[in-house]
Amino acid sequence: MKKATESRNFIASLDSLEPMRDFVSQKGSEAGLNKKQIYGLCLAVDEISTNIILYGYQSSGITDGVISIKINFENDIFVVILEDKATPFNPLEARTPDENELGLPLEERKIGGLGIMMAKESVDEFRYEFKDGKNLNIFSVKALDN
Amino acid sequence: MDVRIKMEESLIVVIVEGSIDSNTSGELQTKIMGKISESNNVILDLSKVDFISSAGLRVLLMVYRQIKVKNGKVVLVGISEEIKDVMTMTGFINYFEMTETIEEANKLF
Repeated sequence: MKKATESRNFIASLDSLEPMRDFVSQKGSEAGLNKKQIYGLCLAVDEISTNIILYGYQSSGITDGVISIKINFENDIFVVILEDKATPFNPLEARTPDENELGLPLEERKIGGLGIMMAKESVDEFRYEFKDGKNLNIFSVKALDN
Repeated sequence: MDVRIKMEESLIVVIVEGSIDSNTSGELQTKIMGKISESNNVILDLSKVDFISSAGLRVLLMVYRQIKVKNGKVVLVGISEEIKDVMTMTGFINYFEMTETIEEANKLF
């Protein structure tokens, strides 16, 4: 698969997480991404969608929210865009654990921000935009010549 | 996700299959926490777990804390390369013993 555009809508519910990951896995695999890259994208999609479902839509009082996943593969760059109409929230501005905190014994660890940190670490690039009333969380990875 | 729990002498063996995400982690937590008071040591077989998110790590953290206060041990079995990467990234890897098989894990107790 040299070039492709795909898009699918999911109900903003935790039950959608697995089908969302399956969709991204399938398209990633068709684009020739390796296992680690696919896992990383699934992790980013899962973590950020969880936040959108549990906090974004809930705090805006929307009960029938939708998350759209758009996939674009061109020039060896595989891009996954999560689109939602929940409360504007830029995860890249959220506080995540720093080096010192990650080194703390598990007994003393606080868990906040871990998901966002994991999402950032799992993809080559993570961007956020707020456009036309929509949150766009954009993850990209470069397909390697395998 | 599917969870099976086996009680052995001073040891509980938890066998998980499927994905541990924020949709399933609550069920896993409830099932483990219901049994954990009966034991000082836990073997968590994750060899059939294909995905774990921060919600899953949160359950591991809770199990670790419960067992640690009893001076027990938590051993993770058969975790995939991808999950190992996540645990390295978050620093969780340093706190758990890991083995490839349940037999090897049993030898640690």
